Amino acid sequence: MPRNREPNINNSIKELRANEDRMTQQALADQVGVTRQTINALEGGAYTPSLALALKIARLFDKSIEEIFWIDE
Amino acid sequence: MTAMEKVAWTELLISLFTMAMAAALYPWLGNGAAGAFGFLGFVACGILFLRKRGNKVVVDERDREIERQATQTGIHTAWMILFMALIVIVLWASQTEDKVIATGVLMWLVWIQFAILYGVKGLVAVLLYRSQRRAT
Repeated sequence: MPRNREPNINNSIKELRANEDRMTQQALADQVGVTRQTINALEGGAYTPSLALALKIARLFDKSIEEIFWIDE
Repeated sequence: MTAMEKVAWTELLISLFTMAMAAALYPWLGNGAAGAFGFLGFVACGILFLRKRGNKVVVDERDREIERQATQTGIHTAWMILFMALIVIVLWASQTEDKVIATGVLMWLVWIQFAILYGVKGLVAVLLYRSQRRAT
C-alpha cells in the first residue's frame, strides 16, 4: 500500500518576526530553544515543527497555532 | 553549520578514511589490515562539537529527528549487507570441498558493518541537512 506523503505545512513566522521590530532568527531561536538553522528551515517550509515548538512560537507571538501554521492544500 | 551537522561530517569522513586505509593496507598486511578499523574510534571526537557555548542551543528537535532517521537508515543498511554477505559466503563455502569459512572473513565482515553503519549514518544526515538548507 503506498504511503501518503506528509502534507506541506506553511507558516507566517518570517512576517511575524518582521512585525516584531525585525526580530532576528537567532533571537527567535534563543527564545524558543532551538538553533538558528532550525528557524531558517521552518521559514523555508523545509521542516515541520513538533507540537511543543509550534506552541512555543505561537505563545511568543501571542497567536493561536492556526494563525501561524496552516496546511498547504 | 550546526554542531550535529559537524558530527555527521566527522562520522562520514572517518568511516570513509577507515575503509580506504583497510583496503590500502590489505595487500601488505592481509588480515592484519583489519587493525585500520581502529580508526573508527575517532568518531567519538564528534562529541567535541557538542560542547555548550554560553546560552546557545547546541542540539534541538530537528537535529534529533535527523539523527534518528540517519541512525535507522545506517542500521538497516548494515543489517541488509550483513545478511546478503552471509548468504554469499554460505553459498560460496558450500561449493568448496572442505565447506569451511575462515574466521578472518567473518572478522572483516563485522568490522565492515561498523564502518558502513557510521558511513551511511553520516551520509544520510549530511544529505538531510543539505536538502533542508537548499529548500530555504
